[in-house]
Amino acid sequence: MSTERSTLRARLPQLTHNQRGTVFAYIAVIVLFIIGGIYRPGFLGLDNIGQLLLLASFVGIVAAGQTFVILIGGIDLSVPWVLNAMAVLLTTASLGRDSRAWWVIPLVLLIGAAIGSVNGMGIVFFDIPPVVMTLGMNGIMQGLVLGLTGGFTCSTCNSVAPPVTQNAVTGQYLFGLPNGLFVWIVIAVIVGLILSFTTLGRRVYALGNNAVAAYLSGINVRAVTIIMYSLGGLFAAVAGIALTAFGQQATLGMGDPFLFDSIAAVVIGGTSILGGRGNYWGTIAGAIFLVVLRAVLQQYNISEAGRSIATGVVILVALLLYGREAREV
Amino acid sequence: MSTTETRPAKTSRPPLGVRLNYYSAQNVPLLLSIGILVAMIFIYLILFALRQHRLPGSFELSTTLNNSMSVGLAALGQSMVVLTGGIDLSVGGIIDVTNSVAARMMQNNPGSMLEVTLVVLLIGAGAGFINGIFVTYGRLQPIIVTLATLAIWQGVALLVLPQPGGSIPDIYSNLLSGNISALANLPSSLVIFILLILLWQVLRRTRFLVTLFAIGNDERAARANGAPVQLAKVGAYTVGGLFSGAAGLYLAAVATSGDATTGTQFTLTSIAAVVLGGMSLFGGRGSAVGSLIGACILTLLLNVLFFAGVNPQLQEFFQGLFLILAVIISTLIRRLLQRAR
Repeated sequence: MSTERSTLRARLPQLTHNQRGTVFAYIAVIVLFIIGGIYRPGFLGLDNIGQLLLLASFVGIVAAGQTFVILIGGIDLSVPWVLNAMAVLLTTASLGRDSRAWWVIPLVLLIGAAIGSVNGMGIVFFDIPPVVMTLGMNGIMQGLVLGLTGGFTCSTCNSVAPPVTQNAVTGQYLFGLPNGLFVWIVIAVIVGLILSFTTLGRRVYALGNNAVAAYLSGINVRAVTIIMYSLGGLFAAVAGIALTAFGQQATLGMGDPFLFDSIAAVVIGGTSILGGRGNYWGTIAGAIFLVVLRAVLQQYNISEAGRSIATGVVILVALLLYGREAREV
Repeated sequence: MSTTETRPAKTSRPPLGVRLNYYSAQNVPLLLSIGILVAMIFIYLILFALRQHRLPGSFELSTTLNNSMSVGLAALGQSMVVLTGGIDLSVGGIIDVTNSVAARMMQNNPGSMLEVTLVVLLIGAGAGFINGIFVTYGRLQPIIVTLATLAIWQGVALLVLPQPGGSIPDIYSNLLSGNISALANLPSSLVIFILLILLWQVLRRTRFLVTLFAIGNDERAARANGAPVQLAKVGAYTVGGLFSGAAGLYLAAVATSGDATTGTQFTLTSIAAVVLGGMSLFGGRGSAVGSLIGACILTLLLNVLFFAGVNPQLQEFFQGLFLILAVIISTLIRRLLQRAR
């Protein structure tokens, strides 16, 4: 163990702890694809890879918001039902018509961001711990969805997503790959640029590393926090739209898996759950890793229970490899 | 806090008024949660009387307490971990496993009941112990370790009990959730609640719990003072797991069957109960009695919503709103008190 570690360290000398995590995550993704390919060569076909990456894009988009929030040392547990609520809003407001999509989509995104900003405001103005605030918000959104749709019995509940969104996710214009993948790439580039090359990105890392120091150096801590949580809501809304377009309809509980997956993707990607360290490139690898891992396990006919256990074990192993904190004095 | 400076030496016991004053200043969050509980009981009684034209009797008391008990036990487990400044998301998973094991293994004879009870509690403690080892010796963040073990235990529970089912003998179920005839027909859950409160009053004076409070307040200072920080933390997670296991067992006893997915909601409700009970999620402050009260508040809230004729589909909405409002109100009151002092 110790020798293996020192050689790895020697080979990756200029990488920080968390960058090493990102590299590990990408290596793990490649290994997984190879394992899947050994069992069934078709696993490595462009079609299959495209589909898997499309599935990963939904996790990846939610995890983009989660990355922002975790980078400032917070956490967003309201993801599942914000996503679900926005998906229902999309179908019921657009009624599956393109003619309404032009105002419904911006509205959904705006409301998603607004819900996120309420999270942020509760946290900064009332000192509510992020876990409690976002947990409560999750319940509020769940109750609203169930209550307002009458347990999903409303007449418009069965509306489909507007064709334009379906096209944007499942249509294929380039290289036979689904369009949703390119949407994800665009989002990834924007998120990566925000974090690495903007003032806001610098402030995010400053805040995550030391909130007091960030405040003392003149950063508007409250504003940055609120913006990050509203980004969390915004990306949950984007994922809600994409997922509805992918499955054509909104369903109850469609957001539930994304709480675990979004946090796991961020952590597997090497971002510190304490904030201040990490990036979105790692999260992307984490999202792909989770989806491909499940696909590979499914190929080996491992039950849902086994997949759940394997996912948990993998997260623990990833954490032990690169998520450990420095020894305290 | 200025009250600590006026604290007299141990030898001369101050008058009751001073002691009460001191106590209330130190326990604002707990007193607040008691206040919320009293208010909830009051609202519940009024609504119940309006709807049913009578006052709730022993049946209502015992069902309310039975429903609070599982959440209360889970919240008690959560409190142990929250005291150290951590959080345990695997509570739901541990409940899943223990619930499934209990329902699958328990036979209708005293030997088996005792054996399964011990096994289930051991499983809970073992699961907590694993969390504790990863958090302390693995130097990993509690929230993410327990998220991973949550997935693991959920999977294990499904392997143990793929379909909801199994059975718990009636005698066992009655013992834990019925009435005790020897004690004036008091609901046994009430007796368990009282025992748990007494247990906490003893526990919190032990070296173990004092260490946990110290860790929650300042882990580095606790270590510098020679407290066995790592050992105590592992202990906290282990005891936490034990209580979660007890919650899973109790849940099986009340339902007289098992379900491998029944625990999912308890991760979140246990956190909500701990918060409503006035415990600080940053660690080192609060009382597990508050967590038990928080569990009762959550159950009463459901009853109040029911009797108020609220659409059951809006339940989660009001629960979430209530949680956030309760935290906001207690924050505001604390700020007010701080300004007054």
